[in-house]
Amino acid sequence: MKGRYVIARKEIRLFLHNPQLLISAVIFSLIFGLVSGPAVIMTTSGVSPGQEYTLLVSLSLMTGVLIGYLLSGQTFLREKQEGTIETLLAGPLPLREIWLGKVLGVLVPAYILTLFSSVLMIGIASVISGETSLPPGPIIVHLAIVVPAFIASAVGLLGFVQLLLGMRENQIINIVVIFGLIFLISFSRELVGPGFAITWSAEGVFLGLALVMILITRALTRVLDKEKIVRTIP
Amino acid sequence: MDNDVVIDVRQITKHFNGSRVLDGVSFSVTRGEVFGFLGPNGAGKTTTLRILLGLIRPDSGEALVLGDSLDTADPVRSRVGVLFENNGLVERFSARENLQFYADLYNIRNPKEKVEELLVFTGLLERGDGLVGTFSTGMKRKLGLARAILHDPEILFLDEPSSGLDPEGQRMVHDLILGLSGKRSMTIFLNSHNLDEVSRVCSKVAILHQGTIRAYDTIDRLRTGDKGTEIVITLHDEGEATKAIRILSEMKEAGPIRRLDDLHLTVFLSGDSGFPVLRELVAREVVVEEMMKKRRSLEDIYLDTVRQAEGDKPSEGTAGVTGLGGGGS
Repeated sequence: MKGRYVIARKEIRLFLHNPQLLISAVIFSLIFGLVSGPAVIMTTSGVSPGQEYTLLVSLSLMTGVLIGYLLSGQTFLREKQEGTIETLLAGPLPLREIWLGKVLGVLVPAYILTLFSSVLMIGIASVISGETSLPPGPIIVHLAIVVPAFIASAVGLLGFVQLLLGMRENQIINIVVIFGLIFLISFSRELVGPGFAITWSAEGVFLGLALVMILITRALTRVLDKEKIVRTIP
Repeated sequence: MDNDVVIDVRQITKHFNGSRVLDGVSFSVTRGEVFGFLGPNGAGKTTTLRILLGLIRPDSGEALVLGDSLDTADPVRSRVGVLFENNGLVERFSARENLQFYADLYNIRNPKEKVEELLVFTGLLERGDGLVGTFSTGMKRKLGLARAILHDPEILFLDEPSSGLDPEGQRMVHDLILGLSGKRSMTIFLNSHNLDEVSRVCSKVAILHQGTIRAYDTIDRLRTGDKGTEIVITLHDEGEATKAIRILSEMKEAGPIRRLDDLHLTVFLSGDSGFPVLRELVAREVVVEEMMKKRRSLEDIYLDTVRQAEGDKPSEGTAGVTGLGGGGS
């Protein structure tokens, strides 16, 4: 098995071994799904076709990134805090493989929970509205490709920052990230604008944005080196 | 590079935030050796270890492990093992899961067999499914050692392996190290400030102080020192002491002689045995009450080295005196 998958599997197992984190993430996705379902209906009454799932688009991204953020704390920061990252760095894998494995290890559970939350949201909205039709194609593409791409890029970036910076800087970054996400979630509807509709071209823009973020993060990892990580271990 | 040299450090220097941490550090370790890297806290030991492992780059000089710099040679890193003070274990995993993870990481053949073998080797088989977070410090260290040797490394780097352990735990770690060096012929690089530990398990040491190597040799040669074997002689009276000094100064084996008080003197001999001196003094009817070969302990060597580096006088070295015999004429 390739090294990155060994690391990813370890991170997923670690998540499953951490009941506190597991329960928090599951409850978070459950609440998001349950609360947002009726909200989707309330915000879409009387809107034109293509605008029904506007809230779902932004909320699924925010949910994914927030769960990714929750898990990345254990995957990157905790390992650095405990110093065990040093043993990994002294092992046979190159740094980028370790980083990639960790991103995958966060992406998989974060995406599954986001998908669960989104399906719940759609299901509740369907039950309330009495319409049981499948969401439109762009929404399915959004959930299948754009959401995991966004989670991966956000987690990759967070992981990069958490590995690169010292503990104090990370605490500050954490506060900024958490408040930023809360702000984005609270005003997601306003941010996308009232006239925003989910179309293939809109999804193309989202996907392009996600890919650019992934490329930026990949480029940034070239700046990351073992010395910077080791020297910021507390 | 000599084929037997597996660690070759040449003139490495390193600065952190403008201050010099390592200054022209050079040493080498040959295959199968247990090498002790000694020094007080802040001497630069961990920085040297990190440079060796490729975690930090030196400003100048080079540190080769198995002929390569571990900074760039990923495959060579599979041939070394490392145990840092934190053991590198996942606390939420069981002992077996931890070893399994590292077995996968190092792509070991028959990982399950290897994991079981190491659990038996470290005496942790019965706790194999226990969470590491519930283990004692000693058990974690044992498991950490098992993790570090899982892939049968050619060189094992140990960073303060007995730190935080009780005497029983320390002995267990020392026995494991000696076992690895003996039965498995592993080269061991031991980073420590525990002098007792180093003197028990190491054959060769380097003493690092303020980023510079101050002493570097086998422990036996460091004990002997540059001046040779030191002999302490107790004479019957002041006159006998004066007579002994005169006789010793005529002997070619005898080096510097120092009178400690009316009855005691020390002499450095070129050989390891004090017997020629005893024989000569007795033959010339000097009344010798006692004669002892002074064996400097590693603690003496270390303290002398550190004090000399700091510009102090060397210690008198009271520990580790072995009797050679004595008696009157």
